[in-house]
Amino acid sequence: MPEQRKTFHQELDEIRDDIVRLAALVSEFIPRGTDVLLSNDMQGALDLIEADDELDMLTLRIEEQCYHTLALQQPMASDLRAIVTAVWLTGELERSGDLMVNVAKGARRIYGANLDPRLRGLIERMSEEAGRLMKLAVDAYVERNASLGAALDDIDDGLDQLHRDYIEAIMESHAIEGLSLQAAVQLALIGRYYERIGDHAVNIGQRVQYMVTGWMPEQTGAARAAARASAVELSSALAEGAPPAP
Amino acid sequence: MTHLGMVAVATGSAAGVAVAAAVLAAIVSGLVTCRVVRRRQTADLVDASRRLGIDATPSAADDPASVVAALERAARLARAEADDVSQARSRVQQALDSLPQAVLITDATGTVVERNTAAEAFVSARHSDALVEAAVAELIDRALRGEPASRTVDLFGPPRRVVVVTTTPLESDAGRAAVAVVEDVTERRQLEAIRTDFVANISHELKTPVGAIGLLAETLESEDDPVVSARLAGRIQFESLRVGRTIEDLLELSRIELGQVSVLETVVLDEIVREAMQRIGPAAEQAGITLVGDAVQSGVVVSADRRQLTSALSNLLDNAVKYSDAGGTVDVEVSERGDEVVLSVADHGIGIPTRDIERVFERFYRVDQARSRQTGGTGLGLAIVRHVVANHHGTVEVESRLGEGSRFTLRFPAGPGRGAHSVSAPAASVLDVRVPDPIPERLSP
Repeated sequence: MPEQRKTFHQELDEIRDDIVRLAALVSEFIPRGTDVLLSNDMQGALDLIEADDELDMLTLRIEEQCYHTLALQQPMASDLRAIVTAVWLTGELERSGDLMVNVAKGARRIYGANLDPRLRGLIERMSEEAGRLMKLAVDAYVERNASLGAALDDIDDGLDQLHRDYIEAIMESHAIEGLSLQAAVQLALIGRYYERIGDHAVNIGQRVQYMVTGWMPEQTGAARAAARASAVELSSALAEGAPPAP
Repeated sequence: MTHLGMVAVATGSAAGVAVAAAVLAAIVSGLVTCRVVRRRQTADLVDASRRLGIDATPSAADDPASVVAALERAARLARAEADDVSQARSRVQQALDSLPQAVLITDATGTVVERNTAAEAFVSARHSDALVEAAVAELIDRALRGEPASRTVDLFGPPRRVVVVTTTPLESDAGRAAVAVVEDVTERRQLEAIRTDFVANISHELKTPVGAIGLLAETLESEDDPVVSARLAGRIQFESLRVGRTIEDLLELSRIELGQVSVLETVVLDEIVREAMQRIGPAAEQAGITLVGDAVQSGVVVSADRRQLTSALSNLLDNAVKYSDAGGTVDVEVSERGDEVVLSVADHGIGIPTRDIERVFERFYRVDQARSRQTGGTGLGLAIVRHVVANHHGTVEVESRLGEGSRFTLRFPAGPGRGAHSVSAPAASVLDVRVPDPIPERLSP
């Protein structure tokens, strides 16, 4: 029996290591996709789109490993939460990788568009901020740091503000510098991709909170909904003159 | 007569004789038994020694003490050898730890049994290092199958790095193990890029205007229209000025690069600022840029080559003006902080992309080729700045953000007597804090 538990914990460690590797691939995609976009590197765009296959393969492998462990080891409590969290995280990370693939595809669509320095600077900064958030999310996961996981929501405000500035800059560039409408729309979408990566990092932070504490932010909302339903039931019972249910 | 016989005679009884005989028999038997036991012990010890590979021939067949002595000698030798092995192992470990490359040695199952300090980064790694760790694991698997393997891993970081992972099988009687070496080749790759770009750029910078002059002259030769001829002559003049500027800057850079601080004097930095601003003033006015700082009255003093320092500041101002939009400002500040003098030039222009910041001090490096040609730069200005600063034992830093502007900060030792001396150290080894420049000394062809 002790030998079996050891194997189980080795499996958990392997799942964690694979998640870290998946996150490292995604974290690499962020500056790489930005470089493709800012340097009009079409070969780089193609390479990044193809590299997404590796990310997908690793995602599937981790998920299968998680299901295998769930089925055979039937973990409990924190071990169960660790595996459920790993399954969630693969989704968040895989989606973040897809968003950078979208950036590379966007770079192909606006090939040759002349981006003014302010736009380029804001893209660089959004990329740096999205990368920083993703790395902090991974740190929170590896260190099982629920506080850092919770803080990511506030840290993400910086990226949200950059995104707002970026949209303004696109509109200015379209109105003043003559940026084409098609390029403006593509650039706006690209900005959205970075902003969404920040949201995925926040989600990872929340999942880490769940893994460590068993609590999810959605539980607060669920408790409010339950309280409201209970209040409605009470008031309708009082209106009908019937005694409230004990 | 023995003592027992004498006892028997003395007692004079047959019983006494019998007792004496029995005791005698017991003693003889004991002596014989002892000898047999000693022989057996000796034989056992010799046998055990042989199994241990120790030559412990006894002096006599029943002398275990000589075997024990031989074993003790062997044990002393073994301890001494173990100490030697331990010391050798420690030396090897220290040698491995001193290597900049990460080295990992695995057993036949792929478990890491030895690693040096640099390899610690790739154990339970995260972020970019996790990808290196994965590459190491994959290549070690191949090495354990008997295939030497190598892979280059490009990491976007930040910081951007290039890492080469090489694995080799280690064959021994105990089975096949593997060794992995991880080497960071980022700097080497940068140097290769600098060398390649330098040759291409210098060729382009000199050949383009010379080629244009030849072509324009050829056209001029067969041109009859005086208006067109005047335009062509104007273009020839422009191109010859351009190539002239490039050659002048190259010569200036070459002089500075040799570390020749010709006239070392006590210089009031405010005067340098005013002189440089006067030099760049007309160009700034033409571009609609305001230079802020001509009223600097810091009174800060440095020991410097006035000509070189003015040249460096002029280059910074020239760049700031060229890459600012009309209506913008360029700020020059001088201050003294502790033991150092700080001179900064800040613009609010187009800024420098993060990926180019590390390379802007290279000769002929251009962030935006088209814009640089348009503004008429030679691509040598910041290389001159870098060398001047190094000649004065200073540092140069650059902070920049695309679309927001750049700030170049020069730091020098403060005060006369504390600044530069007759001949400075090589530029590349002295340079800045935040902008490492890998250009090797004497790179010029």
